[in-house]
Amino acid sequence: MSRVFHTTVRRPGLRGALRSLVSPERVAKTAVEDVSFTVGAGQLLALLGPNGAGKSTTIKMLTGILTPTAGEARVAGVVPYRERERNARNIGAVFGQRTQLWWDLPVRESFAILRDIYGIGEPEHRARLEEFDELLDLSSFWDTRVRHLSLGQRVRCDLAGSLLHDPPVVFLDEPTIGMDVVVKEQVRGFLRHQVERRGRTVLLTTHDMTEVARLAERVVLINHGRIVLDGSLDEIRRRFGGTWQVRATLTDSEACLDPLPGIALLRREGAQLVFGPESGLQGGERNTPTAHEALRRIIERFEVSDIALEESDLEDVMRAAYLRADATVGSLASTEPALRSG
Amino acid sequence: MTTTVRGPAVRGFTARRSAMAVVWRITKLTLRAQLEYRTEFLMMIVIGAVWQISVIVFATVLLTQFSGMGGWEAADVLLIAAMRMMAHGLFVLFFGRVQYLTQRVQEGLIDVCLLRPMSVYRQVQLNHFPVNAIGDLIVAAGLFAGAIARSSVEWTPGRIAFLISGVLGGMLVEAALFTALSSAALHFPAASYWSSWLEELMGTFGNYPLNILPGAVSGALTYILPLAFIAYFPAGVLTGNGSALGVPVWVAACAPLFGLAGFIASRLLWNRSLRHYTGVNG
Amino acid sequence: MAINTSSVRVAWITPLGELLAPPRITAGLLRLLVQTVLVVALWRGLYADTEVKAGLTREQAVSYAVLAVLASRIRNLDRSASRDEVIQHLHFGTIVYWFLRPIPPQRYYALRALGDQAYGLIWLLSGYALCLATGVVELPASPEGAAVAALSLLLGQWVLYYVMLLIDLLCFWTLRNQAALLILVFAQNLLSGVYAPLWYFPDWFITMSGFLPFQATLAVPLSLYVGRIPLHDALPQLAVQAGWVVLLAVLTRLLWHRAARRVVSQGG
Repeated sequence: MSRVFHTTVRRPGLRGALRSLVSPERVAKTAVEDVSFTVGAGQLLALLGPNGAGKSTTIKMLTGILTPTAGEARVAGVVPYRERERNARNIGAVFGQRTQLWWDLPVRESFAILRDIYGIGEPEHRARLEEFDELLDLSSFWDTRVRHLSLGQRVRCDLAGSLLHDPPVVFLDEPTIGMDVVVKEQVRGFLRHQVERRGRTVLLTTHDMTEVARLAERVVLINHGRIVLDGSLDEIRRRFGGTWQVRATLTDSEACLDPLPGIALLRREGAQLVFGPESGLQGGERNTPTAHEALRRIIERFEVSDIALEESDLEDVMRAAYLRADATVGSLASTEPALRSG
Repeated sequence: MTTTVRGPAVRGFTARRSAMAVVWRITKLTLRAQLEYRTEFLMMIVIGAVWQISVIVFATVLLTQFSGMGGWEAADVLLIAAMRMMAHGLFVLFFGRVQYLTQRVQEGLIDVCLLRPMSVYRQVQLNHFPVNAIGDLIVAAGLFAGAIARSSVEWTPGRIAFLISGVLGGMLVEAALFTALSSAALHFPAASYWSSWLEELMGTFGNYPLNILPGAVSGALTYILPLAFIAYFPAGVLTGNGSALGVPVWVAACAPLFGLAGFIASRLLWNRSLRHYTGVNG
Repeated sequence: MAINTSSVRVAWITPLGELLAPPRITAGLLRLLVQTVLVVALWRGLYADTEVKAGLTREQAVSYAVLAVLASRIRNLDRSASRDEVIQHLHFGTIVYWFLRPIPPQRYYALRALGDQAYGLIWLLSGYALCLATGVVELPASPEGAAVAALSLLLGQWVLYYVMLLIDLLCFWTLRNQAALLILVFAQNLLSGVYAPLWYFPDWFITMSGFLPFQATLAVPLSLYVGRIPLHDALPQLAVQAGWVVLLAVLTRLLWHRAARRVVSQGG
């Protein structure tokens, strides 16, 4: 799936602006190029990438707002931009801080409008509101007008609003941006519930790595409009985050140090041995062990009296991943796609 | 010795000059930003032309149909309309952005402005360049020239000075009214509703001699909503209709001062309101 | 368009917002009242020394002016405070949700406008009843005249809907057309005869506005009401109104299509 945008470039300066008025200069910019992935039903996939990588464009194509320049997308069997309305019944979407609720009405009135637009039965509607209220604590503020809600309250309402019609597929573009930790945790719990209990397929973009670690079974990393990696978090760690170190104090300090596959002894600090991934500091090879694998192997091999793992955290891993735009494309296919783009 | 005495004064002067330079620079930037929206800019020029014609037609239509309105000569009534429009055009150019304060509040712009080392009110005014003021002023200038040419008033330097201060005073009255209203807009979004009504009222009743209205109504437009001070009073003084304005002539002659005082008061009110600003939700 | 719960619910959004905000209703009432009093005073003042001007008597002129004030209330709701104008949805990016629901944006827009106008009509009718009772407005000359004026008002509102839609659709191309919007609103007010009946204007102006849709929104129904357009001349006027409805319907349909494509090509 690809998407090219045409924009007008402005020349600098007041004179330039006047000239652009007469003869605008147009350029093409490729926002998304050959992005291709499938998501199985009931899966939560995190779409990651630096700002401007093409995440939102991808989501817009999958929600039917944008038409791809090339390629095709299918969401629950529907081509979103061709059958927008049919697709709309299958999906729910929240775009960050943009609210779909009516600014001047109490939230519950907005819910009632959505109920009628999507043609949801009253008992069903009431049951779902009850469920959402239990998870998101909505009833304490759902009689308030949207304009008076705090950001966290509003986004929680928006999440509920987007799921009122029980869509099998949900798109969330940075839903927790700007929220406090308590609300974030509440929202994560809600999302987990939606995926695990309700079997919804969720496509999420976020910059919050804790969120990714808590929620995502699978991650697609996009940069410069291309997929850099498609796999599990562990895989990302393995490829971009080989910067772990294991510090071990051996019971027998004179033990013979046979090399372990993929693990190198970096240095000795007194009685402590410092291990790291082989071949420099960077990972990237498939056989480079993750920190946890290395830990296991070291404990199996040596008699250790004390051991500590220093792992670069997920943010460091992502930074390394974002910076390495030249990385090759990996991919994982899953059966029974709920969502496919290509 | 000299430097210690003159230092603060000189510094004050350069500070003011650099503030003006900043204002000018931002104005240039915002004008350029307007040029970014190509279609709108071009469309406004086209529509502006249509609009100019219709406004002048409208102003002259009632005058020709109902000449001798309230004992005023048609040319004198035209002067009221011209002065009001000129004052309005200048108001839009220099102060017009207060009218859209509700939108700025909703966008969270006030919060941003509060962080910058410049008067928030000035920043609001510098928010965008009022392209429509160009249209307003062109129309106003045309009408103004027409009114002056047709009027039988002898234009002595003193009268010209009063005419100019009358127009500036009218601008300040309008600025005062909208500024006072926009202090409410800092807290209540509904204020935009009143703001649009105020504009409508001025457009409808600012152009005629108010003495054609019953006393209670013209009194209300003098004492409650001081519309009379914008153009009716100064034009009345200039054209010799001062005896039938509903107020003593000297009060009407002080209209420019009234405008200045009103504007200062409204700015104080605005600042007070800003101190109690609590921001948009959350 | 089948009448179902979702249509009614969507049409009901603005009136509901109004009813939930009593200060807004009070403000609207006050504004309407003051505006009516002022307009009556103005036109009585203007007619102080005159019997008939441009074929309008004092009573006709006052009736016309008051009805113009009441009728402009039909579509004079302040949606900007509710962040519910098309330009605001475009500005805040919330327009995407219009395209994410199982109701076409065109239909959603039309239903909202229908609700707004029906709500405004209630205001018009209550104001009208009050003005009749106080003798400010005169009854039309004949029941036939009343019926024709009512039909013409309906057509006029239909034209007005398309004019407003046209203005809103323009926002898709010129994101910041607030000023242009004001000018168009002003043109609508002036050329529809809200400020002053078009009969006072020079002939060339009347001819020009005959080529524009604005006069079809208010000037025609109000002139029919006060009898300035005689009943036997009503048919061609109604035909012109209907013509505008058809023409603008085609034009706005085309523009909607292109606006939707624009959202689709730029992502809202």
